Amino acid sequence: MRESLSIWWFAGVLLLAYGVIILCTGIWEVSHPLALPPVLNNLHAPIWWGGLLTVAGLGYTIGFRPRRSVNKTRK
Amino acid sequence: MVIHLATSFLPRPETAALAATVSTQLARLNWVDVLVIAIYFAIVVFIGFYLKGSSNTSEEFFMAGREMTAWIAGLSFVSANLGALELMGWAGSTYQYGILALHWYWIGAIPAMLFLGIVMMPFYYISKTHSVPGYLQLRYGEGARALSAVSFAFMTILMSGINMYSMAIVMKVVLGWDLNFSIWVSSITVAVYVALGGLKSAIYNEVLQFILIWAGALLIPILGLIEVGGWTNLRQQIATNLGRSDYVHLWSTLGHFNTNPMGVNWFGIVFGLGFVTSFGYWTTDFLVVQRVLSADNIRSARLAPIIGAAFKMAVPFIVILPGLLALSVLPFHLVAQDVAVKTGQHSYNEVLPLMLVRYCGPGLLGMGVTALIAGFMSGMAGNVSAFSTVWTYDIYGAFLNKKATDQHYVFMGRASTLLGVLISVATAYLVQHAASIMDYVQQLFSFFIAPLFGTVILGMLWKRATKPAGFWGLLAGTGTSIGLWLWVQHDPHALRYVALSPNAKDMAENVYRAFWAWLACVVVTVAVSYMTKPRPVAELVGLVYGVSPLPKEHDDHWYQKPIVWAGAVAAVFVVMNIIFW
Repeated sequence: MRESLSIWWFAGVLLLAYGVIILCTGIWEVSHPLALPPVLNNLHAPIWWGGLLTVAGLGYTIGFRPRRSVNKTRK
Repeated sequence: MVIHLATSFLPRPETAALAATVSTQLARLNWVDVLVIAIYFAIVVFIGFYLKGSSNTSEEFFMAGREMTAWIAGLSFVSANLGALELMGWAGSTYQYGILALHWYWIGAIPAMLFLGIVMMPFYYISKTHSVPGYLQLRYGEGARALSAVSFAFMTILMSGINMYSMAIVMKVVLGWDLNFSIWVSSITVAVYVALGGLKSAIYNEVLQFILIWAGALLIPILGLIEVGGWTNLRQQIATNLGRSDYVHLWSTLGHFNTNPMGVNWFGIVFGLGFVTSFGYWTTDFLVVQRVLSADNIRSARLAPIIGAAFKMAVPFIVILPGLLALSVLPFHLVAQDVAVKTGQHSYNEVLPLMLVRYCGPGLLGMGVTALIAGFMSGMAGNVSAFSTVWTYDIYGAFLNKKATDQHYVFMGRASTLLGVLISVATAYLVQHAASIMDYVQQLFSFFIAPLFGTVILGMLWKRATKPAGFWGLLAGTGTSIGLWLWVQHDPHALRYVALSPNAKDMAENVYRAFWAWLACVVVTVAVSYMTKPRPVAELVGLVYGVSPLPKEHDDHWYQKPIVWAGAVAAVFVVMNIIFW
């Protein structure tokens, strides 16, 4: 059996999931400030870092999606 | 507690240290963090089940079908070494020793990785060996293989247990998790995905772990540099806080043993670490070499360590820099572990979790913790998969059951994976009740690496090396290493002879002991070779440089050649060392 799901697709899914969760958390924190905020909380790292992970994850998830990766991009 | 060692694989301060940690819980996870961790566990277990169907033959199970691309093999190669112990240990060492810890990432890794890709990999690859002990069997016969395989299997599986216990301790310290919960959840997860998918599953998860570590840890240096106002300000603040400037210089303080925080000089760093220890680990430790052997062709096998070297060179950004930043921004001073145990202060080894908590809120904290968990599990999976391969090929298949079917060996591979995990769990509990075992086992592990490099490199580059010489050289090197260690344990004054300085710290002692062990191995191997009958050259084809025609590699363009990329990485390596001189 030749597996058709690329490792890069798995990486994309993981980054996408984490990106969305962290981005949403960051947006939520804007309207619901933390009781004990971390240092430099004013930079809103969850928003831009979560956004970056979302974009990267989306790129890998789409770029290595199973239906186009049977042979060439399997890994 | 004894603080050890040398390069990434070898004992680092945090393992022993964390065993006795009594600090209070650093952080509390909320449901978002738990969700992030749960997603990771779900994906790794899914990968194990998914890859089970393509791990049916021994070649597939133990060597990942030898179909990994250069990028996957390369990332896996560097990731197998980039466990959470690595991250936390060297961040702590940086806080303790300053930027000198960077040597373990650069001169202690990059030249050896490039050498593996350019010089050694062709011989590993064309010999079609399944393991490093397997290469020793082809080159030196069963004696050297047996010695190497048994020591490797024994030490690897114990290291796996230590890795697991360390993870459980970190989870207890950082999050307040129960030790039993951490040990059993992580070990069952690793057992499931490695037993099902074999090496391929371990490699897939190592690649994921590598990405996760960057995603989870990169914010620390970014936000840290913003907080301190850049690199120049950081250097000034460290010098002001400590009242000394030797914490931020890589080479200029190594002229003498007494002019740097580590008590080492340039000879120890260049030859003890940069040559013997580093080359020993990166070119002969099967845990990492196995990843490259899974490459789909010889070109990928040569490129993989070069790609790994490029990434390895960047890792200090998320390990060393947080340690330096902590020297500047933490409002309290971290102390040695024994002091931390007595006073309840935080120890050096908690630098990374402390910095993580400092900058990361909900979600980000969960991802950082997941990166640490992934690192621990990946380290354990690497140990277990390497153990399974060496046990099945070089002990069980070589001495106990030589004529079994391929299916039987795959079954044995799965069974030994489960057995390896169980022994690891037992080791974890054993260590829990006798923390000093952790020090000794890790030290034992180091005894075999430096001499093994002498044996392998002479075997590959010198056709005159004979079968008995391989065995006796390896034994002599190991004996020398153990003997020197025992000498210093028995008489601390012996440090002036072993490490050439009474002021040498443990790491300095380790690099010098490695150098003497390697030297003893080489001297004995050469001497015994000249006293014994050489093997016919025809028997050495495919094993030794100069008598082995290497397969042609067809690159369409000059920039596709491995040597070009190795040169580029080497150039960056030189420039970076000069910048941080």
